Formats: sequence, C-alpha cells, structure tokens
Amino acid sequence: MAFRPRRAMAVFWKDFLDLRKNLGLLVSMAVLPTVMVLVPIGVVWSYVRTPNHADLRSVAMFYDPNLPLGASAARFLIDKTLTDWFGMFLVMPVFVPILIASQSVAGEKERRTLEPLLASPVTAAELVTGKSLAALVPAVVITWAAFICFCVGVDIVAWPLVQMPLMPNALWTFGVFVIAPLFAFFGNGVAVLISARVSEARMAQQLSALVVLPLVGMVGGQVAGFLKAGLAYYALQGAVVLVLDAILLWASIRLLDRERLVSRWG
Amino acid sequence: MSGIHVEGLGKRFGDRTAVEGLSFHVRPGEVFGLLGPNGAGKTTTVRMLTGLLSPSEGEATVWGHRVDRDGEALRKVVGLLTEQPGLYDRLTARENLRFFMKLHELDEAKAWPRAQDYLRRFGLGGRDAEPVGGFSKGMRQKLAIVRTLVHDPQVIFLDEPTSGLDPESARTVRDAVAELASEGRTIVLCSHNLSEVERLCERVGVVKRRLLAIGPVRELRRAGQALDVRVDGEAERFLNVLASLPFAPNVLAEGARLRVMLADEAHAPDVLACLVGAGARVHSAVPAQRPLEEVYLDLLQEGRG
Repeated sequence: MAFRPRRAMAVFWKDFLDLRKNLGLLVSMAVLPTVMVLVPIGVVWSYVRTPNHADLRSVAMFYDPNLPLGASAARFLIDKTLTDWFGMFLVMPVFVPILIASQSVAGEKERRTLEPLLASPVTAAELVTGKSLAALVPAVVITWAAFICFCVGVDIVAWPLVQMPLMPNALWTFGVFVIAPLFAFFGNGVAVLISARVSEARMAQQLSALVVLPLVGMVGGQVAGFLKAGLAYYALQGAVVLVLDAILLWASIRLLDRERLVSRWG
Repeated sequence: MSGIHVEGLGKRFGDRTAVEGLSFHVRPGEVFGLLGPNGAGKTTTVRMLTGLLSPSEGEATVWGHRVDRDGEALRKVVGLLTEQPGLYDRLTARENLRFFMKLHELDEAKAWPRAQDYLRRFGLGGRDAEPVGGFSKGMRQKLAIVRTLVHDPQVIFLDEPTSGLDPESARTVRDAVAELASEGRTIVLCSHNLSEVERLCERVGVVKRRLLAIGPVRELRRAGQALDVRVDGEAERFLNVLASLPFAPNVLAEGARLRVMLADEAHAPDVLACLVGAGARVHSAVPAQRPLEEVYLDLLQEGRG
C-alpha cells in the first residue's frame, strides 16, 4: 500500500480545522502553558525582589554546600530554577498532544465517524501521520510560543539583579527545539495508542495523562536534590524518548488497523 | 469483472460466526436488497464487501477488486452510507465534503460542482457553509448520502438510506437511487423498510447468518404457494369446507375474497373443485402475491427452525 502524503495532509487539515473550532479544547490547551510560563517568572521575581534575604542563602547552601561566600544566593537560585524548570516545562509538549490526539482518535469512535473514514482509501500509516501532525504541530508551536514568552518574562524580571539577559540559554534552546518535539511525539504516540484501545476521548485523556507522572517525579527529584539536571541529563532523557517514539509509531500503525478498529468499535 | 460476485463468504469473530457460506451476484445497474433482522450479519457482509473487514472464508470481488487484497483500490470505487451519518459536527457541510474529496484525491474544482448538485437536489443548497452540528437528523442523513456519492462510486452500499427522512425527502432519495442504478452503478440496499425494498430492488437476499433466500422480489412474494380466489357473496361460508383439506393448512376470508395457503401449488385445481362442489361461484383464481413482509417473516421463522 502506497503512502500518499495528500491523504495524510487531508486528515491533518480536517483535524486542525476541527481543533480550531473546539473552543473548550483550546481553553484547556491554553491553561498549562500559562502556568508553565507564569510560575517560574513569579519565582525568579521573588528572588530578585529580596536578593539579600538570609533564607535564600540557606536554601542555596542546601543545593550547593560549596557555594562561595561572595556569590549571590539569589542568582544561584535563579539559575537553579531555570535549569530545573525545564524538566517541568517538558510536561507541556507531552500534555498538549495528549489533549488533542485523545479527541481526534477516540473522538472518531464517539462521534461514529470512524467507519465512513475507514471506508475511504486512507491507509493506517496516513491516518497516524495526519492525526499525529494535527496534534504535534499545535503542541510544538505552543511550546515555542510559551518559550518566547518565558524568555521575555524571565529577562524582564531578572534584569534589575543580573543586568543581562539570562534567556535563552544553551540548555533551553537545545531542549525546546530538539527535546521538546521528541516529547511531543511521545505524548502523541501514547494518546494515539490508548485512544485506539478505549472507547471514550475522556478516558483516553485520563489514561494518557499518567505518562507525565514520571516527568513530574524527576523534577521532584531535582528539587529534593537527588538528581542534578543539566544539558547531559536532558539529552539522555531525549535519547530514551526517541527510542520510545519509534516503538510507539510502530505500535500505533499496527493498532490503527481497519479490521481491529471496525470489529471493535465500528 | 464489474458488479459484485460473492462465493462462500464467511466471517468469524473468535468463536462466533457472524456470517457463513454467502454466495450471490449483483449486476451493474442492479439495486439489490439485503434483508435480515438486527444481528443477522448484513453489516458484517457490507463491511467485508467494502474492505473494512477481511473474510474468514470464501471470496468476493467488487467491481473487479478482490475484497481480501485490493482494499485501497476497492475503497476508491465503493461508496458506503453507514447506519449512523458519522459527520463532523463542528465542520460545515462543505468542509465535511471537502475532507472526503481530499481523501479520495479528487480535483475539488470538478468534484465540488457535482457535490453542489446533490446538495441542491436534497434540499441542502445554500446550507453548505453551516456547521453540521445545527442540522436536523434528516439533513444529516442527506448530507451523509451526498458524502457517499462525492467520489462518484461505481458500487454503492446504503444502510437504511431513508432513516429519519420525511416522506418527501425519502422519495428524493429513492429517485436518486433509481437514477444511480440507471447510470449502471451497482447498489446494495440494507433496510428494514420492506415497502422501500419492494419499490427499489429488483432482487433481494434474506440473510440470517447465512443466505435464507435470494431472488426477484416478485418471485419471493409468490413463494409459499398462496391462491387468491374471488367468489360470489361472503367467502367466509366456505372456510369450514376448505379447512377439511389437508393440503390447505391456512385459509383467510375477507369479503368475497379467500386466500388459501397451499402446501404445493399443484393442489390449486383441487381447491377450486372443492369450492365449486360446495356451491361456490368462482369469479377468479390467481396465484397470490404475498406481501414481502409476510414472506420475510416466514423465511426468518424457517431460518430459526
């Protein structure tokens, strides 16, 4: 069976159009980036507001007992926050495609549109590609837009203390443009896979959303001082996710097989 | 090889047999009715013939394409109207249709005027920019029919096409079906609306897991060997004498008319002799055209036995 990009783009076009008209989903998608941008800006602002507060040094010493006496604890904590927050930021490119892909695959079953769709010449690979693009493109665009807002916000609030732009730095630039799309693909793959197995979009969302828990757990480990994040740490995460992405893609194409979907849900 | 050719087709889901041993042919330009109760295997049959399910046994070709291996090519020549319209509510009628035009890789500049013709014909002209979510059940059904036809399919499977339609719209759909058949397309109609099947289909197949009967509607209606007899006066007075005949298990009387069910139509002269012997003046005696519904229910009853 030949892969026809035009048909995959048709699926993408339809799903993207549907998403644009789904106000509820758009609002849900906007909440997480807003939180992801505003929270770290608020934390940085709190450090900048009282840079000489004695407690800041205590907190900084918890993470780095060898912090030089003359070093600014506030600056150290700002850098630490920016590094650790990237782990949390990765939740966004995972979660947004989950919201979209759960609707687009399980939603086809709920709306009873699956059978007419499968009765068209579209192949499983084209369907997976189109639906994945419809979830990935908005997720990556939102992540990049949130990153720009994040950089601008952090630089504005940190300027009085550091007198120089802190963002974008190498870690974030590499992470947002290389690792975030891999995580978005991962979130999408999980959602497509689960959506193919369950009957309701809501259930697909709830189950798929569980994949963000390990990410949150790792950020928890960083905050607790058990894990030390950095470029190599995130690059390793990206490599693991890349392997998982390949497995998920293979499994999604297999699971979106006509026979399986129609006999189960048609 | 155009039309539909089915030989020994069957489908099992695990231990459960949905359909078995189906064999029939449908000619180009023919409207073929597929009848059967819920769960009889009609939908499974249609799904196999549209390449959505692969057969567990037997083989079938639709417009020259093997259903078990030519799925993509098959789906290009087949149009399927599913039981549920299955439309995207947030999209407009036009967007719904454009999506399927794109899936079929049609030149929209050519396909859209054809779709507009159908929209106008089904009373949806000028409504193509409205979201489908605001459409009535009948409008949705009509749009789903247009979607089925948008790629100009050679073989069309229609599952309850007039479901939810008002009489006028139902007539429009029936006219469209007849016209499509006259253009040489093969049409398979699944319906519980037997009067519709009678009006549209040249032949019907009654399915209940297997094919219980197949043939022209007129022949099926004649099956069962009933005889309609018109006599002088009230026909009821001859019920007793006919009841004594062992080969006429069931007799109905209504006004001057008697309907005599025969075990074998060779007994028709015996019935008439019996009536004349009892003093009846017989005006006419013709093989009865039983309502399709009666034939259908009898077939299902036999199928159960």
